[in-house]
Amino acid sequence: MAIAATFVIAVGSTTMRYTTVIREMNILFNGQVTVVDKNSLVIQAIPVSGGMLPQESTVGRIGGIPGVGAVTPVLFITSIGSETLTQLVPVNFTMGIPIVDWELVLGPIRLKDNGHFPANDSSNEVVVGPSIADQYNWTAGTEIQVNGYALRVSGVFDTQMALLNRCLVMSLTLAQTVYNYPLSVNIIAVKPLQYMPQQNLTTAIKEKIDYVNALTETQRNDVVEPILDQMQTWTVGIEAVVFIISLILVMTVTVMSVSERRRDFATLDALGAPTSYVFKVVIIETFLIGVLGGVIGIAFGSLTAIVLASLYTSIPFALFFPSILQIVPPLYMLEMFAAIVGVCCLGGIIPAINAMRMRIAEVLRAEY
Amino acid sequence: MKIRTVNLTRSFRVGSSEITAVKAVNIEINEPKLVAIVGPSGSGKSTLLNLIGLNDYPTSGQIFIDEADASQLSGRERRRIRNTRMGFVFQTFNLFPTLNALENVELPMSLANKSQKEQQEKAMKLLETVGLTHRSSHRPKQLSMGEMQRVAIARALANQPEIIIADEPTGELDSKTAKEIITLLQNINQREKTTVVMATHDEKIIDAANLVYTMQDGKLSPDS
Repeated sequence: MAIAATFVIAVGSTTMRYTTVIREMNILFNGQVTVVDKNSLVIQAIPVSGGMLPQESTVGRIGGIPGVGAVTPVLFITSIGSETLTQLVPVNFTMGIPIVDWELVLGPIRLKDNGHFPANDSSNEVVVGPSIADQYNWTAGTEIQVNGYALRVSGVFDTQMALLNRCLVMSLTLAQTVYNYPLSVNIIAVKPLQYMPQQNLTTAIKEKIDYVNALTETQRNDVVEPILDQMQTWTVGIEAVVFIISLILVMTVTVMSVSERRRDFATLDALGAPTSYVFKVVIIETFLIGVLGGVIGIAFGSLTAIVLASLYTSIPFALFFPSILQIVPPLYMLEMFAAIVGVCCLGGIIPAINAMRMRIAEVLRAEY
Repeated sequence: MKIRTVNLTRSFRVGSSEITAVKAVNIEINEPKLVAIVGPSGSGKSTLLNLIGLNDYPTSGQIFIDEADASQLSGRERRRIRNTRMGFVFQTFNLFPTLNALENVELPMSLANKSQKEQQEKAMKLLETVGLTHRSSHRPKQLSMGEMQRVAIARALANQPEIIIADEPTGELDSKTAKEIITLLQNINQREKTTVVMATHDEKIIDAANLVYTMQDGKLSPDS
């Protein structure tokens, strides 16, 4: 049971973590249309491949379309400098956003302790995610090197958001310099005026600028949501199969255990024990198996989830450990614990009914 | 407790044939006596005891407990009678291996919903009666066979039963220990006025019994 629980927790929480991070990618551009290069492969709002857009001309042309409110050019890089570590998935990100538009993209976000947001004319200040800050011991004031440029950490985000946890955010100009994309961006966030539906705006943008693709919030979700839903369905399916196998195992082991102790159960009947008492004895045993298996499984499953996260991100294990409750949320632990205990109790029902039916006369007759 | 059987019969189907283990047995037990039922293996002694002890149902015939037809009793009433008015001693002791001697003796009282304090006091007293106070915290596998049977007897006495049904109580014991157990059962019969019905091969039990019945091929007859 403990092994099954370990597997379920590890698989479930890892999948959950992935889907949460992917869903968060869209939160940044909530209520906005995003414009990317026509050949870009976009996951949620983030272009993971494809070309750059010329910043000034594209922003200018979009700004001239009726119904457009704010236009925010963003440079989104799936790394923090030239990383040498091999990672199965990108886990570090850099965002270059014009400083005046930070709140529009990141929302009302706060900084830890004595940090401050970069000044509008800042040429070397960056704000970093708490997970990266912990990993590299960065605090407000730390001097860092990114792609050979000397930068200064002006603050650390105070956030639980997985994406921002591993993000370097700086002014757009600075990002373009550091990553050598002068006057280029790969996302342009367009906030429609109140009367303008997102769908109409994307059509207008695509008609006017032939080298871009414009996506509404729903379109962005439509690309990834079915995949995420399928991932979750598969995870639930795998968990269900593991639970069914566990149920059969618990039932088999308990049937054997009851059968080995048939004389005890028959003696209980001879001594006048109510059938409900015999039933309770077996169910309490399987309940305790569930509690023990659940506790051990959740502990090992959570550790496995951290080890997996550490392996596929190359972020040290120790960094994940303090955020274990974010990777395996307490509610998920509780749900799984209840499911494990429930499965065990369910597995005890048939053996308990067998135990209730044991009679001393039959047992003695079988023995002699 | 008065037990009376009328044409009590119990048959079993073994493969295609039917075996009648108990054939039209009529017996009446109404005084606190030491009753021995003797007979060769397979003669039906244990089956008869199981029927009398309400642990089995007859194929035909009747059992009367205090003139009440046992066939009319519900499962719950039969269990209540077994728990409060009868005590059982088995050849292989049937103690619970995970419980110590004291807890084994307490169990029937616990099933009768007696208070924890009462269970403990009574169980200690019963262990004293069978001479095992010093072994109260020992588990069955830490006890000798004689000691296990003493614990089983103490357990049988837990709810002050009117009748003790003992199936080959000395079957697993050496002759010295068997003698001690017989003396113990005799004392219980005499002091507590408890009827003791035993199935046995043991000559010493036959000598000690007030009433001896012989079982042969399922038929019961008073010993000549």
